[in-house]
Amino acid sequence: MRAWVLSSLMCGVWAWATGTNLAADFSKQQLEFFEHTIRPLLVERCYECHTGHGAKSGLKLDSRAGVLRGTDYRKVVVPGQPEKSALLFAVKHVAKMGAAKVESMPRKGDRLSAQAVADLTQWVKMGVPWPEEESSEEDPSLHWAFQPVVRRSLPSLPLLKGASRGENGIDAFVEARLQQAGMSLAGEADRRTLIRRLSMDLIGLPPTFEQVQAFVEDESPRAYQDLVDRLLQSPQYGERWGRHWLDVARYSDTKGYRGGGVERRFIYSYTYRDWVIRALNEDLPYDQFLLYQLAADYLTKESQDKKDLAAMGFLTLGRRSTADDDIDDRLDVTFRGTMALTVSCARCHDHKFDPIPTEDYYSLANVFFNSEEPREAPVIGAPEDSAAYREYLVKLAEKQKAVDDFLNPKLDKLAKKFPNIANRRFQLRAKLERVEKRELRKLQGVLDKFVADSGMEADRALILQDKAKLRPGRILIRGSRSRPGKLVKRHFLQVVAGENPPEFKRGSGRLEMAQAIVDVNNPLTARTMANRVWQHHFGQGLVRTPSDFGLQGEKPTHPELLDWLAVKFIEGGWSLKNLHRLILNSATYKQGSVNERGAEYVARDPENRLLWRMNRLRLEFEPMRDAALMAAGRLDEGMFGRSVKLTARPFTQRRAVYAYIDRQNLDPVFGTFDFASPQKHTAQRPYTTIPTQTLFMLNSPFVMEQAEHVVKSVGLSSLKDEGAAVNLMYRKVLAREPSAQEMRQALAFLANQRGLASARDNQQTSTAWQYGEGHYDEGKKQVFFSSLSNWDAKSKRWQPTAVMPDREKGMGYLHVYKGGGHPSNDPKHGVVVRWQAASAMRVAVSGHLQRRSEKGDGVRLRVVHSRLGLIREQLILGEEKKGFVADGVEMKKGDFLDLVVDCREGSNSDSFTWDFDVQGSRKWSFADGFGGPGRIVTPLENLAQALLCTNEFMFVD
Amino acid sequence: MRDSDREQVLGGLSRRELLRRCGMGMGSVALASLLGKESVQAATSSLNPLVPKAPHFDQRAKRVIHIFANGGPSQVDTFDHKPMLTKYHGKTLPGDHLKTERKTGAAMRSPFEFHPYGESGLEISDLFPNVAQSADDLCVIRSMHADVPNHEPSLMLMNTGFSRQPTPSMGAWINYGLGTENENLPGFVSLCPGGVPIMETQNWRAGFLPGAFQGTHIDTKHTAIDKLIANIENKRNPSDLQRQQLNLVQSLNRKFSESRPRDSKLEARIQSYELAYRMQMEASDAFDVSKEPAHIREAYGEGLQGRQMLIARRLVERGVRFVQVWHGAGQPWDSHNKIKQEHGRLAGECDQAIGTLLKDLKQRGLLEDTLVIWGGEFGRTPTVELPTPGANAADTKLGRDHNHHGFSMWMAGGGVKGGYAHGATDEFGFKAVEKPVHVHDLQATIMHLMGFDHEKLTYRYSGRDYRLTDLDGEVVHDLIA
Repeated sequence: MRAWVLSSLMCGVWAWATGTNLAADFSKQQLEFFEHTIRPLLVERCYECHTGHGAKSGLKLDSRAGVLRGTDYRKVVVPGQPEKSALLFAVKHVAKMGAAKVESMPRKGDRLSAQAVADLTQWVKMGVPWPEEESSEEDPSLHWAFQPVVRRSLPSLPLLKGASRGENGIDAFVEARLQQAGMSLAGEADRRTLIRRLSMDLIGLPPTFEQVQAFVEDESPRAYQDLVDRLLQSPQYGERWGRHWLDVARYSDTKGYRGGGVERRFIYSYTYRDWVIRALNEDLPYDQFLLYQLAADYLTKESQDKKDLAAMGFLTLGRRSTADDDIDDRLDVTFRGTMALTVSCARCHDHKFDPIPTEDYYSLANVFFNSEEPREAPVIGAPEDSAAYREYLVKLAEKQKAVDDFLNPKLDKLAKKFPNIANRRFQLRAKLERVEKRELRKLQGVLDKFVADSGMEADRALILQDKAKLRPGRILIRGSRSRPGKLVKRHFLQVVAGENPPEFKRGSGRLEMAQAIVDVNNPLTARTMANRVWQHHFGQGLVRTPSDFGLQGEKPTHPELLDWLAVKFIEGGWSLKNLHRLILNSATYKQGSVNERGAEYVARDPENRLLWRMNRLRLEFEPMRDAALMAAGRLDEGMFGRSVKLTARPFTQRRAVYAYIDRQNLDPVFGTFDFASPQKHTAQRPYTTIPTQTLFMLNSPFVMEQAEHVVKSVGLSSLKDEGAAVNLMYRKVLAREPSAQEMRQALAFLANQRGLASARDNQQTSTAWQYGEGHYDEGKKQVFFSSLSNWDAKSKRWQPTAVMPDREKGMGYLHVYKGGGHPSNDPKHGVVVRWQAASAMRVAVSGHLQRRSEKGDGVRLRVVHSRLGLIREQLILGEEKKGFVADGVEMKKGDFLDLVVDCREGSNSDSFTWDFDVQGSRKWSFADGFGGPGRIVTPLENLAQALLCTNEFMFVD
Repeated sequence: MRDSDREQVLGGLSRRELLRRCGMGMGSVALASLLGKESVQAATSSLNPLVPKAPHFDQRAKRVIHIFANGGPSQVDTFDHKPMLTKYHGKTLPGDHLKTERKTGAAMRSPFEFHPYGESGLEISDLFPNVAQSADDLCVIRSMHADVPNHEPSLMLMNTGFSRQPTPSMGAWINYGLGTENENLPGFVSLCPGGVPIMETQNWRAGFLPGAFQGTHIDTKHTAIDKLIANIENKRNPSDLQRQQLNLVQSLNRKFSESRPRDSKLEARIQSYELAYRMQMEASDAFDVSKEPAHIREAYGEGLQGRQMLIARRLVERGVRFVQVWHGAGQPWDSHNKIKQEHGRLAGECDQAIGTLLKDLKQRGLLEDTLVIWGGEFGRTPTVELPTPGANAADTKLGRDHNHHGFSMWMAGGGVKGGYAHGATDEFGFKAVEKPVHVHDLQATIMHLMGFDHEKLTYRYSGRDYRLTDLDGEVVHDLIA
């Protein structure tokens, strides 16, 4: 019984949706008959499948409204008319009701008894009695988010005694709630914290040390406001907040999976990204911002300047699949993106929770059905006039010719065969053989790839435009094209426009749809965006389900504040920058991230819903990366243009917002750092802390490269001492100077690192191996070793000097590479490869040595232990290959093994090849470990990297 | 720096000791309770999504090895013996001609012989003599069926439960539900030598689940550890230097936390540095098959398949939750031509490795709670594929087309019935007719074995509670021991 009530509450919104909540009067006896006979029967035999969200065929027998609504396809009960109630046919196992097929029920277990069937029939005859209180459910039209935005007055002053620190309305709402709970805001954060917070928040980059100092010392009462204004005017504002919007817009540079050599890149996707950045920098009013993204084709019709067409990438840059799925993707990004409504849920059935009938879905789907991409995307920029471009055009013509030469003769032939469509090339193309089509796709793919790779084409906008011939749409039952339902008209959502909304009149209706979205009376649009802005400033929205304001979403923590902000937003001319100013100048925003009464508050409000402190935020992937580049003094502040691969080497120094986003095979590092999945609209990125994130900080070539450049930029040679270097590194990475204690710690660290490094005697390459020249001194039982300092990148080998043969040091052809090497003509200068043990272990060294020539007196290999001396010797005299093994070799930590190959007496034909490995606590294969100047890091670099790894770098107070 | 700074002693055990134990399978739930610190508990449970979690009910399988014969192996040449094909060889099959991707013609008998194996007498073809030695552990499903005869949607269906929408893969779902037993390794590893299958990384992606659940792709063609996992090794920062560096980072981080109490996010990141440091060692170890004794390596075989099956065992042994082993890049099992040679070659590459894997797991007591799954995205037609102009006209054919109407898969260990064949295709092996098992049913059963009600392991996204099995799937209890 209890379970029944719960499920009925959970899913019982049908009353509203179907308008059939006839609270008919039933007699006491009838209701008792229901309670004693019918309800237990339903619970026992029907509810396994027919309750709740996942009810089979959409039939829910847990409320009267549900019973009367029937399945997603038809009614199953007509009150008072058993002969028209399919439900009764089903339980009687009568397969047909008139012409309609009826499935026998229940599918599981025995048939219902004759008595049970009779009872049900009786119940239907009575008119389906059901107690009233349980079928009266929340009317979803009364849900908060669907109510008009109300101009709220600030909470009255008495509530605020002793609390208010300004005239900012935000504080009035926040402090009123805090006061009710007996709590208060944290104290204002210090200047240093505020400038870092503002800077990260607004432009996604940290302030420099100098900027911090200037702000800390600025005595002007307007210092803070001026800083806010400066940052809002920075072009980098658009790059930071543009990326927030690109999350919403599920931005990607590719279409998803395409087989058969078809080009996946959109090629011109960046024009949308750039449009968003520009629009935000120019503070294009938000209503206009949306109108362009949904209907720029209408808005620019009369205009010469077509640049704004790029805005429509919002609709076109989704994953490409079937035509119906593409429409669904566009509906989803539009309505979750702008109105926080999950309209997509109504594709297969009426929305289970929100008042969005399937009819509304298909009504809007038809808007998109009647919008198409033109065969050629319109050009919105001028091509570069250069020799390279002209050369590109020549090559392009060649590729195009390859397509034409293949296609044209075939189309000509088809034209003769189908004279009535002889001039319609696209219709003729449809008549090509399957194999021909495949070949054509391949050729076209080659052409497209060439265009995409070249990056030479003038900018184009990826738009939609209305189809020349509009076609009406139908409901698709269960979302299936093979089951068309009734005709629908194009109109806006009933939840906003009311019952029987007016039909769209212009073309596909897309402009009217867009206008309805930004209409000031639309209760959702301003609230949704005000909430998104709040979310990025505070880490959490006032509504914590930022793209679901429906009945399943969370309620706002501060509903009046949300309305107040929405009103201010609209009244401020939909200016996002005004909205930012309003929020950023509040005491709520300026408070510290630690409240002195935090220990007490955290127990009462662990999630900080009441905002008793600022949320401490971790940098997302992009600002983390950009800040590291900035610390290294290498950030490329160039704006706009084609996307760049972020993870390819050499690493780009552009900002991460310009990253190439490959929807199909996004580099795993993006997911590792909780990047917004480009599959669909992202309302809020996930937040995880996993070791692969920290592995990136510790080991990635990218972070190491930045650490190296932090050190370089410090300009060591001009500094008096190491302390000065430490000081500068703190300034660059953390925008402050180290404390005395931190300075001591850093200097001690540098000394310790040097201590370890000098014990190693290896500034050359990878962790286990060193490459050098030298010889084994039989008297002293040790190897004289000297590192080879020259790496020949082309031949991938180590050698004594840049030129080979080496005359400077007289070592001739001495070198070592992955598969072998050559000693010098002097037995004192053989090839030495050194392996060092990182910990104590017992090892075996084994491998092969080979010569390719019969001439000369051969070469000698010696395996020498740093403490035990010579442990193995092997001569290779002729053209032969010999194995060598030394096992059971005890190594202490820091011990090393040298493999020395010298020329013996004669210097003729001493080239050798080898492969060997050291097997200890793991296997070290020489070939796998061999590498170029992956130089060991310096102590200062390790210090710089340590600073980049800190929580202080990664978090914003 | 003093040792006391570094080895902060918590609850009687040093942090390092705790982390060491944690790596040995204690898990961080235990870690958190030992530390007894609210912040740590919060940190590891809410921020690290890979923390071990309890399933809905007792699980029969704790981990999965999914051997993906991508391309679609032929059932009538492997695990579904159809003598009638020999009788009808070269003749048109009676009854309705089922539609597949391409045109097929007359029936084609299997060029391979079948023999009964084990006490159960399961019939298995000569393609898999080594696997056949474990016949009494195999639970062969002969009545599998999918939705369409095309690779892309069928791969997606098998791996994610949805043919068209980009949703999370099974490995991601299971890690989402259970977390990992070893935080020093990724919880979901996809081994695929030489590149990626078709549909590429979408086969193991996390979809709308957090990126932490995404499969880590390992190209087993490589042997050097730094080529296997990104950023797992730092050749330029030797471990003693790096340890010192890490100590400095942690000291600065703890200082930073002093004035910022009760922040689980800061604490979680501090811990994740220690985990990362350990992961470097453990991951290198897990992928280094040279640590295995020679006789084990020989038993698995020299080739790529031997190495990757051995890696798979080393991974599950260390608590990796879900290991997928792909035969190779592209669609190797897609034998439209010359099935005898092609299937012969492919099975020759992997039979010994898979057979040894089964025996090895059993001998180590791992098979009991490790579920091994073998199969493709669909099967192949019992009829011969007809030459298509342009596509394969030049070939003499003797291959088979895709077939989603009926195909075979098998499972072993992890609570399934051994020596059992479930369901049946028609007498020619074309269509599943007896106790048909849809891919969603198989997934529901796998989830059941892992301890989940597949209808209840859901994730809210885009206004809907998604699950692996879309809106279908019924647990096939007959498969469970």
